[in-house]
Amino acid sequence: MTVETAEAQSFKHEGRFLNVLGLALKNAGLSLLTLTLYRFWARTAMRRRLWSRTSLMGDPLEYTGTAGELLRGFLISLPTFFLPAIFVLYIAPLVFDPATAFWLVAGFYVIGVPLVAAARYLMRRYQLSRTRWRGIRLWLAGTASAFAWASFGWTILQTLSLGWYSPVARMNRAKMMWEHTRFGDQPFEFIDDGEPPAKGLWWPFALGWFAFPISYIATLFIVFAIGAAIVGTGAITGEQMSANPMLAVGIAAAVLISMLVLILFCWAPYNAAAMNRIAALISIDGARFKLRAKTFSLFAVSLAGWMITIFSLGLLAPMAGFLQVRYVFHRLEIIGHPKFAEIGQAIVPEGKAGESLGDAFDLDMGVGVI
Amino acid sequence: MQTRYADGRAAITHVTTLDVGTDTIAFRIGETEHVWPYAELRRADDGSGRVILKRHPDTGERLYLDETDSARLIVAAPGLNAKRAFGIEGPGTIAAITGAAWSLAAVFLLAVPLGAGPIADHVPPRYRAQIADISWSQINAFTEYCDDSDEAARILNDVAYRIMQESDVPMRDDVWITIVDAPFPNAFALPDHSIVVTDDLIALAEHPDELVGVIAHEIAHIEHNHIMKNIIRSVGAGIFFDVVFGGAGAGQMVAIASVNLASLRYSRGDETDADLRGLDYLDAAGIDTAGLARLFDRFAEQERPPTESEEEADGERSGGFPTMLSSHPATAERAAAARARSREGLNPSMTDAEWQIVRAACGGVVLPQSEPAPTAPPNAPPTNQPPVATPLPAPGTKPD
Repeated sequence: MTVETAEAQSFKHEGRFLNVLGLALKNAGLSLLTLTLYRFWARTAMRRRLWSRTSLMGDPLEYTGTAGELLRGFLISLPTFFLPAIFVLYIAPLVFDPATAFWLVAGFYVIGVPLVAAARYLMRRYQLSRTRWRGIRLWLAGTASAFAWASFGWTILQTLSLGWYSPVARMNRAKMMWEHTRFGDQPFEFIDDGEPPAKGLWWPFALGWFAFPISYIATLFIVFAIGAAIVGTGAITGEQMSANPMLAVGIAAAVLISMLVLILFCWAPYNAAAMNRIAALISIDGARFKLRAKTFSLFAVSLAGWMITIFSLGLLAPMAGFLQVRYVFHRLEIIGHPKFAEIGQAIVPEGKAGESLGDAFDLDMGVGVI
Repeated sequence: MQTRYADGRAAITHVTTLDVGTDTIAFRIGETEHVWPYAELRRADDGSGRVILKRHPDTGERLYLDETDSARLIVAAPGLNAKRAFGIEGPGTIAAITGAAWSLAAVFLLAVPLGAGPIADHVPPRYRAQIADISWSQINAFTEYCDDSDEAARILNDVAYRIMQESDVPMRDDVWITIVDAPFPNAFALPDHSIVVTDDLIALAEHPDELVGVIAHEIAHIEHNHIMKNIIRSVGAGIFFDVVFGGAGAGQMVAIASVNLASLRYSRGDETDADLRGLDYLDAAGIDTAGLARLFDRFAEQERPPTESEEEADGERSGGFPTMLSSHPATAERAAAARARSREGLNPSMTDAEWQIVRAACGGVVLPQSEPAPTAPPNAPPTNQPPVATPLPAPGTKPD
């Protein structure tokens, strides 16, 4: 049976905006009340809500993680990450000469690249190990350090190529992640379909690479032209502009939001193409996946998420995560039937600590869907 | 959909029939009879529809109940509809988290200020100099050294040395005053015992005692090590809230704001302390504190919101000095405290000629004085003053 003729099963996500918003508001209120210490409980509650509304073949996913595990992971990250970070960022500038302090901080940020990659890997491993379907646990094999150093190398190549290595790097990272992902004792595969993994990504990438700077400059020109025209017609005088700092803040905010819209819009074709391509190359026990992400819908959902996050000062950031999760699962289907009767439970232990570095880098916007 | 059972060993489900009892549920899969006591059960769903059960501790087994069995179970075991069954924290847990958060904050609010003093007193000179480097780089970024202020700075340093000598200030040989061109009236003490005086402060002062009062206040900050204490407090606040109350967004803003309010209170305490000690210096050196009171009065006038007629005049009043507002006690109270210790019959702290030189620093215009300074104050500084500890800095640099 070919992929095209195999029976397709759609994933479903039944999360409702207002329902999730209610939980996000409750979490935001308690986070304020507890000076953000509630964030471990908030994150856990939101994940439970999002996972439980996602189903395949009528059976929902289940999130089994606890706030205690996240808190424990955070406590582990205190001596392993925060103490060195405090020394480099707070103490070194006070006790070393400026050149030494500068190189220490610069070195810290360079090391931060593989550290963030390791944090993503650890976060994904934790989330998968706390995700069950029909009682069977997912997990992630491999080591975070291997992913971190490989990712570091790809980042260097991305930098040296002025970004043009990004499509390959993105597929490499996806391949490494998915080839280590397991559902019970069944591994996922990142298949070779006879085409380069980055096939179909180059034109959308080129579009983003060229269109963003051009449209950014054009937007700045338009904003300043409008500003000059307003001042020129006398509607607002230069004195009024300088006397009213809120006017300048408003203009700066308008420019920043325009930039955000442009970034999302210019890169939406590439992001949609990359998401679809990655999904098409994932396989489990012969079954394949298909994602139907589209440029405009992805742009809309990304923009909505960012606007909610910005205008809620980050408090409702989990809503952005919810919109993304719902977007993906509404458009994802599995083609073919894995032999579920032959997929057994994973025998690796769950581990007791949570995401540690993920919290340190604040990677997950309150949800943690990496 | 019927009630189904997943054994946690394979990703398939088995249709079964559920027997809902008083204390247990029972069902049969093949030849095996399963009996699960309610006390061992937890919910694996989120309460939005059909019930999914799991055991505690988790064995991986799941029981997907149909709608009829779901309704029967909730009637038989209402405890399975409670928050605890879902693993959701109750009000007690939330109260405990809130208590822990505010207790941590309270510990910080007490511990950091208490620890700041001893830590600040033991900062080695080398590190103090490094911190001063940073302070100077910031000051150099928004002020400009005045080439024509050498003589004026010498006069101010002479007066400062005299009042420190009278009060036996231990670090008097290290204190050095620099005059800078800046668009605001202010004076700062730095970690290396430097004092920076802006030309706008000199222009605002109408009598030498007013300016010397401010310098006495800054010397008191140096003697009591307030600068280092404040730095330790600020760094401590940053570390504490970055680490303990990580996260992002408005929640962290609330956390940080609560600390800033607390450190502001301690900062105001330092200011009051420096005010009182500065008045002691002036008293001991025979300088009238009424001068400082008059300067405070002028600050109070500037801090007062403009009246409608002043607003209509557009620019009659500048609208206050933000740099003097935030961390200082109410200016009117400070003026009253200074005035209460005023003594009559004292001579000005500088001669008229010296005052004219100081007023002319940074290209300043010598304005008519409200009170003429006598030509020879009785407590004039001796001409054979010991040399100051640090040489005059080159423009845009800091003293060694």
